[in-house]
Amino acid sequence: MAGPAARRRGSGPFVLACLLPALVLFVLFMIVPTVNVFRMSFYTWSGFSPDMRFVGLDNFVRLLDDTQFVRAFQNTVALLVVVTVVTMGMGLFLAAIMTRQRLRGRTLYRFVLYVPSVLSVVVIAAIFSALYDQENGLINGTLRLLSLDGLRQVWLGDQDIVLWSLAIAMVWQSLGYYMVLYMSGMASIPEEVYEASALDGASAGRQFFAVTLPLIWQNLRTTLTFFVMSAVNLSFVLVRAMTGGGPDGSSEVLLSYMYKQAYTNSSYGYGMAIGVVIFAFSFLVSLLVSRATRREPLQF
Amino acid sequence: MRRSLVLATAAVATLGLLTGCSAEGDGSDTGGKTTLNVAALEGGYGRDMYTQVIQAYESAHPNVDVQLQISKSIEDEITPNMKAGRFPDVVVLGQGRKAALTETLIKDKALEDLTPVLRAKVPGEDKTVGDKLIDGIVGNLNTNPYGDGKTYTMPMYYAPTGLFYNKGLFDKKGWKVPATWDEMFALGETAKKDKISLFTYPTAGYLDSYFFALLADVGGEQFYTDVMTYKQGVWQTPQAKQVLDLTTRLLKYAAPTTVGYANEQDFTKNQQSILDDKALFMPNGTWIVGEMADAPRADGFAWGLTPLPAVTEGGKRYITTSVESVWVPAAAKNKDAAKEFVAYLYSDAAAAIFAKSDAIQPIDGIVSSLTGENAEFYRVYEDPSVSALVGGFAGTAPVEGVDIKGTLFDTANSIISGDKTQEQWQAALNDASEKLRQAGN
Repeated sequence: MAGPAARRRGSGPFVLACLLPALVLFVLFMIVPTVNVFRMSFYTWSGFSPDMRFVGLDNFVRLLDDTQFVRAFQNTVALLVVVTVVTMGMGLFLAAIMTRQRLRGRTLYRFVLYVPSVLSVVVIAAIFSALYDQENGLINGTLRLLSLDGLRQVWLGDQDIVLWSLAIAMVWQSLGYYMVLYMSGMASIPEEVYEASALDGASAGRQFFAVTLPLIWQNLRTTLTFFVMSAVNLSFVLVRAMTGGGPDGSSEVLLSYMYKQAYTNSSYGYGMAIGVVIFAFSFLVSLLVSRATRREPLQF
Repeated sequence: MRRSLVLATAAVATLGLLTGCSAEGDGSDTGGKTTLNVAALEGGYGRDMYTQVIQAYESAHPNVDVQLQISKSIEDEITPNMKAGRFPDVVVLGQGRKAALTETLIKDKALEDLTPVLRAKVPGEDKTVGDKLIDGIVGNLNTNPYGDGKTYTMPMYYAPTGLFYNKGLFDKKGWKVPATWDEMFALGETAKKDKISLFTYPTAGYLDSYFFALLADVGGEQFYTDVMTYKQGVWQTPQAKQVLDLTTRLLKYAAPTTVGYANEQDFTKNQQSILDDKALFMPNGTWIVGEMADAPRADGFAWGLTPLPAVTEGGKRYITTSVESVWVPAAAKNKDAAKEFVAYLYSDAAAAIFAKSDAIQPIDGIVSSLTGENAEFYRVYEDPSVSALVGGFAGTAPVEGVDIKGTLFDTANSIISGDKTQEQWQAALNDASEKLRQAGN
């Protein structure tokens, strides 16, 4: 039998061999494509032909003049901010109520709120298309019933509203997921902390801000990164299914515009340049958010 | 011992992963038999007609094995292999699809020259393919995308696209289908009194047939070609302005629900407004009959198809004709076999099979054998003042961020809602056209 030192030395190749399949997969399907995105952004290429032309930073210079791109960027940022703020606020509020107040039927509420996050986006698009229908959709139909005809809107056809219609669908889809995440964080806070603060005369609101929030802070920071990613990804799928970027490009987001350029407009390199911008943008925002929210972790 | 076994297993697993990605036999020419890979879009005509035609071909050519790949999103299925260098031999796929595969290959000059097929005899018949085709269906920008006299995409099926309406409603109200734009707008006013809108469109993309025909109606075929080939300053001409004037005026009569439903999810609701007698005309294609076959409709409903009204009384009218294409990638393995197969697609036997599924090929004399609504639709070509118009924007090298179709069609949504003015529209078109012109040279 070999001694502990020998075993440690001997297990090196063994560990490596075990890791190798996963490592190969990771390099092949994660690292290589990502590097390729960066490389392709310096070329013009239609996607098929053998003639790729190196153009340096031309694609990025063009992006600055592309009003459609700027619009898509603005839309993505607007969705990111609005959806994050609303979902996080509502998620925290609901999670606090569900864990702290002994609400009747809270398992049912939790279930109902969580269901949208397991639905496929195409189903969500169909649901919201029925909700938003300008003639006999649920929203406009209800408004008509209440004789509030003045409030009726063409939810997916009005260029000033369409982005907010998408934001509502996004919030609806992700609210339950974040609520459950926050609830699990809150459930691990020991009851004594609340009892002690109650003895000191803290109200429920004070408890939320002085006890609950600081103790789930790490949890919160993680979800902020999720928000950045989902604002970029989920918005694309929803836009594809619900509006196709219309009317007239007013609901275009970064990824849908990238798809249009890379495939429909046969400008693969340009699409990849947009991909690089998305990558840098999500990376930067996540970094900034993570830096700005850094606190000394509190223990209980 | 056990450790080396694990090591060996891990190594095998790793190797297996790598080889799994690359191993695929290219089974052409096995045992003297040529394997011909045919990829086709499964459109509204279904897939049975392809299997039947291939069966007929294989029984006449026992040394050819035709492998059919057919799907409603055929681009997604064949492009991964194409990027890896494995091209199908024959592809049945037209232009104007979202994935724009045909357009991309045209821009890339990656299609095989099919001019020899036109001169070749149809297998088993005396006539050449070129002789059988109806006049004017080849030689336009659709088949000869570079305008150099060489045919790269063969016209497969053709169908008129124009304004669809409810004939029953016109009979009931005693209205006449407008022959000029003045009559059109007068009808718009009349219909308004009955709370019927003059115009709607499923999505703005359906305006392609409308604009192509209107451009030719206003400025003639040369002007149409100038626009399609991005002639310098063409969007600043009085003809271009007239096209946008007429359109802006027409869009004022658009059904109020049009823009809100003009998306992938809801466009059938715009089509439904024709069936419900809420709107009079919409641009569409002959597939609309099958697409809306199960939809509820007004009493006495019957589909009608008319070309756009003439700009001046008795003026020439064009009807945009959508043409599905068949082409051979330049990188295909069995180009000769592919060309012979393409020629066979125009044989009487194949045409009869296709026609049974309502896929009408541009072959002389085929229209007289049609029945039902199709006979009605294809009759528009019999009017001597109406000519078929084929084509679309010329292929250029891709220009980043410029999409002239989007600029021309999608802006209609903004014109209706008032988010953009006609002047902005014209300026944007001029800008996009100029950028594409520079890329073309």
